Amino acid sequence: MSALPVSLPDLPEEISRQLSRAADLAGRGATRRDALPTAVPPLDRLLPGGLPRGALVEVTGGRSSGRFSLALSVLAAATEGGEAAALVDLGDHFDPQAAAASGADLPRLLWVRPRTLKEALLSAETVLSAGVPVVVLDLGLATSKISLAKRARHDFAFLRLSRTAGAHGAALLVLSPFHVAGPAAEAVLTASGTRAGWSRSLSGGRAALPLLLGLSSRLVLERLRGRRPGAAEPLPLRVPGALSSASHHASRLPDRSDVPARRAAQE
Amino acid sequence: MRLACLTVPMFPLAARLRSEPDLAGTAAAVFAGNGHAARLVAATRPARTAGLCPGMTLPQARAVLPKLVARGRDEAGERAASEALLDAAERISPRVEDGGEGVVYIDLDGLHRHFPDEKELGRALIAAAKREGLSARCGIAGSKLAAHVAASLPDSPVVVPAGGEAPFLAPLPLARLAPEVDLAGTLTRWGLATVGDFAKLPASEIAGRLGEAGRALHDVARGLDPRPFLPRRPPPGFTEGMSLEWPLVTLEPFLGMAEAALERLVRRLRDHASGCVRLDVELSLDPDGQDARSLSLPAPTRDVRTLLSLVRLNLESKPPGAPVSGFSFTAHPDAPRPGQLTLFGPAEISPDRLATALAKLFALLGEGRVGSPRAVDGHRPERFALVPWAPPPAPPERRPPREGRGLLAVRVLRPPLPLEVLVEENGPVSLRTLVSEKTKGTPDLSGAVRVASGPWHLEEGWWTGEGVARDYWDVELSAGPLCRIFRDTASGDWFADGVYD
Repeated sequence: MSALPVSLPDLPEEISRQLSRAADLAGRGATRRDALPTAVPPLDRLLPGGLPRGALVEVTGGRSSGRFSLALSVLAAATEGGEAAALVDLGDHFDPQAAAASGADLPRLLWVRPRTLKEALLSAETVLSAGVPVVVLDLGLATSKISLAKRARHDFAFLRLSRTAGAHGAALLVLSPFHVAGPAAEAVLTASGTRAGWSRSLSGGRAALPLLLGLSSRLVLERLRGRRPGAAEPLPLRVPGALSSASHHASRLPDRSDVPARRAAQE
Repeated sequence: MRLACLTVPMFPLAARLRSEPDLAGTAAAVFAGNGHAARLVAATRPARTAGLCPGMTLPQARAVLPKLVARGRDEAGERAASEALLDAAERISPRVEDGGEGVVYIDLDGLHRHFPDEKELGRALIAAAKREGLSARCGIAGSKLAAHVAASLPDSPVVVPAGGEAPFLAPLPLARLAPEVDLAGTLTRWGLATVGDFAKLPASEIAGRLGEAGRALHDVARGLDPRPFLPRRPPPGFTEGMSLEWPLVTLEPFLGMAEAALERLVRRLRDHASGCVRLDVELSLDPDGQDARSLSLPAPTRDVRTLLSLVRLNLESKPPGAPVSGFSFTAHPDAPRPGQLTLFGPAEISPDRLATALAKLFALLGEGRVGSPRAVDGHRPERFALVPWAPPPAPPERRPPREGRGLLAVRVLRPPLPLEVLVEENGPVSLRTLVSEKTKGTPDLSGAVRVASGPWHLEEGWWTGEGVARDYWDVELSAGPLCRIFRDTASGDWFADGVYD
């Protein structure tokens, strides 16, 4: 959408920026979907502009692939922008303290804690129907693939979810250890190639404690309507709060200078 | 002062027909009492046409009409119908008085500017009662008694002109004033047939001959009603329910009747621009018992299916333990949340849709599974608080997100996963997940440790006696996962409480 020309100089800039000419509206349907910027550069580059609204995006990956961090970043970006958001958390893995530290505005966040996959799918559909503009459906750390018979049912369920998201213009992000959404997904991303980052240094002539700095993985675009698949971006994730694990833990754990290893790390 | 009176003829029958509308066209009757002593109170038109009249016993009524549908008096249904009639009156006037048994008095002061005349006002009252499923009659006069008598006449609504109460009552038979039996006998012996005849007697002599009851009746006959108008206070909740003919053992037939009652309840809530924020369910159990339960909702709702789901889930999780012979629902109202649209900011969620969705989620998942998360003061990562979700108003403009995201998050494992850990000089070297019934379905974190970082000591709440002391380690397994594990220093047991993801 292009801004109005300066022919209306009386309008404040922030208003004129959001208005468009009638001629621009005609081609609006043909342009790509409105997107939610996530402020996670690899994601915003692979999905141009961010998470598409009115569509289902699936992110798959194994344990410690970074998909949960990605989801929290999306929730933080949405709530920080003033939008309501919902997390349907099948594995009950959410940590409010960590989410608040990463910038999420908790009062704008709805946390739904289903016990089963069926409850999770129904909950996601209910939340989308209510008009919540950003919904994350996390299917947890399940390790076994869903049986084919169940999978067929779930394909239909994800199609319903996708249509509900489309009808309400909501951005729906599905996190799963393996592909579940099938053709319902507008875009599919895979996080893989995870490597943890540790700091190793010598202190006082002896090996110091290795400190967790973060992890890095690779985000690969497997499918996006209208784009060629295969594009990849590195996804670096750092431990929150500081550049080192020591200060990360210092922000979460009480200070106990009598712990030898901790003292060694601080030297 | 001008008053209207709404009366529902044959109120016990009207209340029963409100709960069971299918009986309307059939030969049905309501009986009071038990067994052969039960007496007919009211009957539908087909039954009356066949010859049934009040006072008949059940065997007599069956002898006249073998296919008669007999019902007992429904206390819960009558109470609900009475409340519904009051609600209907309150839609027209804010000041109403409960006259009991299907009788409501309405203060008409200040209403005349809204209606062309009192006849129209009366018609509006009758229509409001009709919406609640009650066929009512209306009388309008300057006193409660005159209005009540006017309401009992055909060709409703009947309007008694101001100051015309005594002339209006005069030609009516004395029985209209419902005198006591002894008093009625005395008046008959005196040869008095109409209210006017009685009103003509000198007031000074009446008290001496007929006592206090006679004096009061004489005042009434002259159009003087000493009873003041007592407006009711709005009740804290709306109640609907009914007594069942046969005790129910299974859930499905009960839900059928519960749905109809909830629909009536929601209609009344909608008329008051309210939603249900708490639903009290009272069950009468056979042969003699009560079961009360209260269902809280996260936000006011008027969605019947949601309320019904809540009732179903609650009854399934905690069955009453005996056949149900009656029920009542009391909805505690609350104002729906207001919503404000913005021109340039993010769209706000419709409060009604949000309330309905929250109630559905609550019904689906139960208590403590839906809400807005809050961090709890402390260091244990598994702890959290949930509060009812009421998202704050959207900002006037959409704010761009902060740059530089990409923070590593931890998936918290609730409850922590028990581990068997092999420890050497530099820390854990191998993990094995301990499988139990409790940890069934949780991820397997077994494997050799590639890198371990720790211990990071956590101690909390030692002063409460319920504190914890843990030594935390960040470990990277050879198989890939990066986990957070801890050793409970009190027991020496190992657990995994998070996976970096």
